[in-house]
Amino acid sequence: MKKTLGLFTAALLLGAALTGCSTPANTVHSKDDLVGKTIACQLGTTGYIYAGDIENANVEGYNKGADAVQALVQGKADAVIIDSEPAKVFVSKNPSLTILPDPFTVEEYAIAYKKGNDELGNKIDQALTELKADGTLDSIVGHWVGDNADQVSYTSPEGTAYNNGKLVMATNASFPPYESTVGGQVVGIDPDMMHAVCDKLGMELVIEDMEFDSIIAAVDSGKADVGVAGMTVTEERQKNVSFSQGYATTTQVIIVRAD
Amino acid sequence: MNFFDKLHETFIVDDRWQYLTNGLKITLLVTFFASLLGIVLGFLIAIVRSTHDKTGKLPILNAAAKLYLTVIRGTPVLVQLMIIYFVIFASFNVSKVFVAVMAFGLNSAAYVAEIVRSGIMSIDNGQFEAGASLGLNYPKTMLYIILPQALRNILPALANEFIVLLKETSVAGNIALNDLTKGGDIIRSATYEAFLPLIAVALIYLVLVVALSKLVNLLERRLAKSDQG
Repeated sequence: MKKTLGLFTAALLLGAALTGCSTPANTVHSKDDLVGKTIACQLGTTGYIYAGDIENANVEGYNKGADAVQALVQGKADAVIIDSEPAKVFVSKNPSLTILPDPFTVEEYAIAYKKGNDELGNKIDQALTELKADGTLDSIVGHWVGDNADQVSYTSPEGTAYNNGKLVMATNASFPPYESTVGGQVVGIDPDMMHAVCDKLGMELVIEDMEFDSIIAAVDSGKADVGVAGMTVTEERQKNVSFSQGYATTTQVIIVRAD
Repeated sequence: MNFFDKLHETFIVDDRWQYLTNGLKITLLVTFFASLLGIVLGFLIAIVRSTHDKTGKLPILNAAAKLYLTVIRGTPVLVQLMIIYFVIFASFNVSKVFVAVMAFGLNSAAYVAEIVRSGIMSIDNGQFEAGASLGLNYPKTMLYIILPQALRNILPALANEFIVLLKETSVAGNIALNDLTKGGDIIRSATYEAFLPLIAVALIYLVLVVALSKLVNLLERRLAKSDQG
């Protein structure tokens, strides 16, 4: 028993010793270098969709953005294409990675709601317009992005009444700073913004955390009222759901291993 | 969109059906090699364990086998798959199919081992004594007398294990291996339509399992016949 355990430990130590010294050097220095490379993405994201258009690229769809980044760190992929804000968080936690200066694409996030439910869509649009005008949206974003980000969640104004029922929001809480799980709570820009929207509508916000590629189906089938998950408006998505006005401009960036 | 438009959108546009056929190939490949690994390793472990039970020999190997069974059966296969991919092969760029075969094979071996051991223990001790009285040593008794009888007893349980294994490979998508389930997920993420891809994937698994069960039934009947003859 001791002998086997000893051998096992020796094998583990050997494995640990080999870790980290055999990752291949970075070969991607611009968008054009992506041809023929292995690109890790999160399945169903716009990064995944755009990566599919790159010539001869081997696109790997992971269920989580963090897994795609992990594959890049370990040399299993050559680059990750992902939204700029989560990219910054991932790179800050992995010093061996860097973001290429040129963005891959520029796009806008919006709130998805069931096709035909224009009553809800109009209300959300109006609430968004008000939140943009009175600076609430900017202040929410300021808590999560930038130099003064203190990660403090939005609090509802006192005396807000919730008489208009519940609003179920589908999201994928692995996309900081837009949404992530902290202490069992889904927090970030999207939940805060939706809290503010719901305060305007007098509705109670219920957050459902699910896989990113299930969100549109959840909204389409009525399991959720809105999909808010740093979601870009694309033609394919518009076939199945409607979108509110945009609430954030973002870029898709390329993460690579630092030289 | 009516049903036929959806059918067209889900399977025909951009040749999306190929995600399912290519995924099916990967699923079958992984299941086949994982069950081979499971059978070989499982039988070896079962023989070590039952030899120890019957004769008290091989204490170190038996302890190692016990540790293996505890760890493998005590943790979910998805976690084992992620550990093999992201921890054990952290700095090696190995083929994902290989990782999946290792994960599911090593996992299946633990269950096969216990099934085979139960088969060996179910054979009456008199059979061992009969072997000995014929002048056969322990390995020969095991190989020619015990295992053939044990195998027939455990065939339904073994078949069940491989059906479970086939379906368990559906979590391979977590390491971005494009198996059958992942193929359906990719279609879903492109069309945002859940019904058709999921039902298609479910039907393919169902057909595979029914075919596998039929094969095992056939084998059982053959073995029963040879028993009468």
